Amino acid sequence: MLRIEKLYKNYGRFRAVDGLNLHIPKGEIFGFVGPNGAGKTTTMRIVCGLLDATSGKVYADGIDVINKPRELKRKIGYMPDFFGVYDDLKVMEYLEFYSSIYNITGSESKKVCQDLLELVDLSDKRDFYVDSLSRGMKQRLCLARSLVHNPDLLILDEPASGMDPRARIEMKEILRTLKSMGKTIIVSSHILPELAELCTAIGIIEKGRIVMSGTVEEITRKVYHAQTIRIRVIDKLDEAVRILQEYPDLDGVNRVSENEVEASFKGDEHFMNALLVRLIQQNIPVTAFNQLDGNLEDIFMKVTATGEEKQ
Amino acid sequence: MSTNVNRRRFRINPVLQKELKVKMRSWKAAILIGVYNLVLLLLTIFILKMTIANGAGVPTQSTIFGTYAFLVAAQFGLIALITPALTAGAVSGEREKQTLDILLSTTLNHGSIITGKLFASLSQVILLLISSIPVFSIIFLYGGIGFVQLIQVYLFFIVVAITLGSIGIFFSTYIKKSTAANVLTYAVVVFLGIGTLLISIFYVQMVIVPGNPNTPYEGTFWLFNLNPGLALVSLVADQFQEGAGRMFPGLNLTVQEGSLHLWHINVIFNICLSVLLLFLSAIKLNPVKRKLFKRSNG
Repeated sequence: MLRIEKLYKNYGRFRAVDGLNLHIPKGEIFGFVGPNGAGKTTTMRIVCGLLDATSGKVYADGIDVINKPRELKRKIGYMPDFFGVYDDLKVMEYLEFYSSIYNITGSESKKVCQDLLELVDLSDKRDFYVDSLSRGMKQRLCLARSLVHNPDLLILDEPASGMDPRARIEMKEILRTLKSMGKTIIVSSHILPELAELCTAIGIIEKGRIVMSGTVEEITRKVYHAQTIRIRVIDKLDEAVRILQEYPDLDGVNRVSENEVEASFKGDEHFMNALLVRLIQQNIPVTAFNQLDGNLEDIFMKVTATGEEKQ
Repeated sequence: MSTNVNRRRFRINPVLQKELKVKMRSWKAAILIGVYNLVLLLLTIFILKMTIANGAGVPTQSTIFGTYAFLVAAQFGLIALITPALTAGAVSGEREKQTLDILLSTTLNHGSIITGKLFASLSQVILLLISSIPVFSIIFLYGGIGFVQLIQVYLFFIVVAITLGSIGIFFSTYIKKSTAANVLTYAVVVFLGIGTLLISIFYVQMVIVPGNPNTPYEGTFWLFNLNPGLALVSLVADQFQEGAGRMFPGLNLTVQEGSLHLWHINVIFNICLSVLLLFLSAIKLNPVKRKLFKRSNG
């Protein structure tokens, strides 16, 4: 759906995007993660045709961003990190204004806007002035606005910033619904645990380059070179530890409490299954057997710290 | 959600439509029209009473022309005052409200945004002009001024409003802050109204005919043609079929038959200037314009 090749963007001597390459398949929710000033917003603005690239190619659904900006804009819905709304318009009028830009008018426009308001749960606010909405509602309205022309690709720059936990959960649900409708979504956020939960793939950007990308599991594996397994038992912890130590694929078997043990492993799910079967056959009273998910915040810190050390 | 984008040939500029909706439904528009016409009406009554009283209580041809000229000048002054204020914040205001990026991320072309903003602001000026026609019609009671002449003056006002509006839009697009855009717009308006006049007078006196004030400068120095105020004087003088003669050194409003009058040249200049400024504004608004230039340069 989106392909970025050797993208560069310079602001004078400062290089904001440094040879960025990225491929995002259709239907993904792609999380764009990076520290402030890493080049996330710059990249997003270039993709939306709001900023010219110094060099490089950007294709959205096969359309060249530079050569066919109008055609591209039909396919993209953009929600900036900081945005304003026309306070003197009513909610429905606000959406109708944007739909008229895409030549959606009359009864068709009313239907589209009503559907979108239902999607973002603002139907009951349709006759309210935009001015009277809360920040979270304005963000949902802006999301609805970005969907008014039914774009295939959504680019959302910090869509949940400044939202309270409830509003963030609602936003997450809306994004999941949009994914189920076949939209490709690129979302940047500083709330990493939520991104990890929501996104099908993550790209970590630093100093204008993608330093790592893939699913959270893939990135975890790349960063830690192994995954961690935690086993909780009712008793017989010593015996469980002894069994675990017999496996050469298991590394660093550690007791973490009176009835819990952790170990790193490089195997796959078959290995985990075999291990669980073995423990149960040996009459170890296992009550929990979990693979610990990679914590995106830790990964992010580790990856970006590595980048700094390299400098 | 399953919407296909319609492609219809004719449609009202969405920005203009939105701006009109917002501007016209508030009480501000009605109050502005009311106050504007009240001021104009009071001025008309005052001038008519004053000139008729001076003329032994009977309105003469010159009394009517004087009142008409005063009304035209007052209307012109109000337009010059109001138009920059309405347009100088049009685009920079969008930028300040952080709504411009969203607008630019849509399929709306940059020219449409610029013209939509300009005509939305001008719609208020044009509404003021139209609403003032009844006040002007008082002149008809006494005769001497025809409907065609009134239309001529109104069209001139509209051209001037478009020019001043284009200057406002130009600075609003190029300058990020509305305050600075306002200051620069008024500076250019003052330059066109007073600067061109003073520079022309000084230049003719000091450079063209230095130390020889009695040597007449035939014709009109070119810079006078850019002055919309003088163009209005030229137009009204034409309407009175009197010709204003030589007003300043280097300014002769009585022209030979068949040649262009000052107001003709000024209207052409205004239209060209407006087109140029709007074109430059549309280019400036395009975020990927520099790429185009790079490509064309090879």
